[in-house]
Amino acid sequence: MLLSCSSLSVTYGRRKALNAFDLSLRKGEIRALVGPNGSGKSTALQTLAGLIKPAEGMVEIDCRPIGSMSRRQLARHLAFLPQQPSAPDEMTVEQLVRQGRFAHVGLFRNYGIEDEEAIRWALESTGLAGFDNRSLSELSGGERQRAWISAALAQEAQILLLDEPTSFLDIGYQIEILDLVYRLSREKGVTVVMSIHDLNQAMSISDHISLLERGELIFDGEPKQLADSGLIEKVFRVKGNFVQIAPNAPPHFDVELARRTALTA
Amino acid sequence: MTTTLDVRKPAPLWFLPATFLFALLSLSLALFLGVADVAPSDIIAVLTGHGSAEARSIIMEIRLPRILTGILAGVHFAVAGLLLQTITRNPLADPSIMGVSQGATLSVTIFLVFTVYIEDPGSNTLAAIPVEWLPAVGMLGGLVAGGIIYLLAFRRDLGPLRITLCGIAVGAVLHALAIGLIAGWGSARIEVLLEWLSGSLYARSWEHAVFLLPFTIAGLAVLPLIRRSLELLRFEAPVARSFGLSYRRQFSIVLLLSCGLASSAVGAVGPVVFVGLVVPHLARFLAGRHFALVLPLTVALGAIVVTLSDLVGRLAGQADEIPIGVVTAICGVPVLVAFLRKTP
Repeated sequence: MLLSCSSLSVTYGRRKALNAFDLSLRKGEIRALVGPNGSGKSTALQTLAGLIKPAEGMVEIDCRPIGSMSRRQLARHLAFLPQQPSAPDEMTVEQLVRQGRFAHVGLFRNYGIEDEEAIRWALESTGLAGFDNRSLSELSGGERQRAWISAALAQEAQILLLDEPTSFLDIGYQIEILDLVYRLSREKGVTVVMSIHDLNQAMSISDHISLLERGELIFDGEPKQLADSGLIEKVFRVKGNFVQIAPNAPPHFDVELARRTALTA
Repeated sequence: MTTTLDVRKPAPLWFLPATFLFALLSLSLALFLGVADVAPSDIIAVLTGHGSAEARSIIMEIRLPRILTGILAGVHFAVAGLLLQTITRNPLADPSIMGVSQGATLSVTIFLVFTVYIEDPGSNTLAAIPVEWLPAVGMLGGLVAGGIIYLLAFRRDLGPLRITLCGIAVGAVLHALAIGLIAGWGSARIEVLLEWLSGSLYARSWEHAVFLLPFTIAGLAVLPLIRRSLELLRFEAPVARSFGLSYRRQFSIVLLLSCGLASSAVGAVGPVVFVGLVVPHLARFLAGRHFALVLPLTVALGAIVVTLSDLVGRLAGQADEIPIGVVTAICGVPVLVAFLRKTP
């Protein structure tokens, strides 16, 4: 399943939130979107998900413009998890995950065996098999986020768009979710695009990284090339070094804390 | 929150038959109790096709049509409230709060001014009101008000709270227009309208029930078709759309249905306030996490609340009965305040 867009532009009023954004993804690829706050990562993801109509350009799945698909058709190909989604308090984990099957069952058809199996699989993949009867309000932040990811998985889409899936989670849950993303990509061939703030996590998990600054795509390439480009220090206005920790791993960005430099100076 | 829900709690499926049984019970209670004393034996005789002419007239011509009209209207208001609360994701949404009832009120008022007054300027009796048109005319006004809510919701992309506030404003304006029209109309005829305006089941005949019934049947027939979109409309628009819902289309269908149900009932019995607000909360409270039960419970509870409120109004006021709209308003306010305190 190929996801691509070319010269995508989105404007909010007079502000250009995204300008001439290009992206092309191979099947099973993991792509990280990085950039400062307000650089257009969320806008890019929402436009790719068909939730924002671009002023220019278009998004295509397998060379088919997503504008020509119905919502349900699109949802069968592509699952999108927004930042901090909210659900009715009394909803249970299982009920939430079941909504992911809407793309397949539609308004009228009953849930079949394959739907129940997909729900079961989604719950198990996110380690929520024992939680299915809990209401969402009883869950911790990490559990709730996994429930949402589970709902997106139940959609069984070949493209997964995640907007900061690891924010507000402790490091244990962060790694758990990144592991899950990695497994989905390598074992199921799911194509993943996600925005993420932790640079080192982005470097270690993704095949390609797109760096955004004020709505402009200023880098698109492999993690190692990003390390060599020197753009990170400039875009995020920090000082730091890329350090090669293990021979075959992507380099690790070691940021200098301004306070420490001030003290030693 | 310190309360923990029992994970293994079975579905309270018995609630549903119990509630419908209770609805039947309140119906018979309303049938047996009234200002005019009719012996229970006489009532049973009437129901089995016998009984005196007087008892027959009281039961078959006055009480039964009134109760049935009330039940239909109660179902309309309750379901309309549930639908509005669901799509606006606002627990305080209600057709009488969001301007839908006021739209229906205005259109019925305009209609009555033109038909009753122009056809027969001397008339001042309730009998002159063209009953058969009221649900349809009310619906027209309610749909216009619904259209305004829709435009506010999508053109300006407002959040649930601001949509509700705009609905309140729209409702206030429409209500003021209706009152102004009635005041300008003058003469003794406004008494007839004022009774209707407070939401009343007084002197509701078979005609009222019969002309409202098609709207009830049509509305309830659509409900099973929108059950899944109702589930998804509980989410924010981006989430619902990501799951594959054509959000705008489904939102419009449900809004249309809600306005149609509420405003046709306003046409028949006047704006009975707070039923649409309180009943869905009761239904959700009973259903707990079993969302599938909320809709049928809302239907049954809507019938119960209106039947019992009307009974209270009839008995408390004796000969000068209290309009049901007044009863629901008085009972509804404490419940509304309780919900407001619970809402964060």
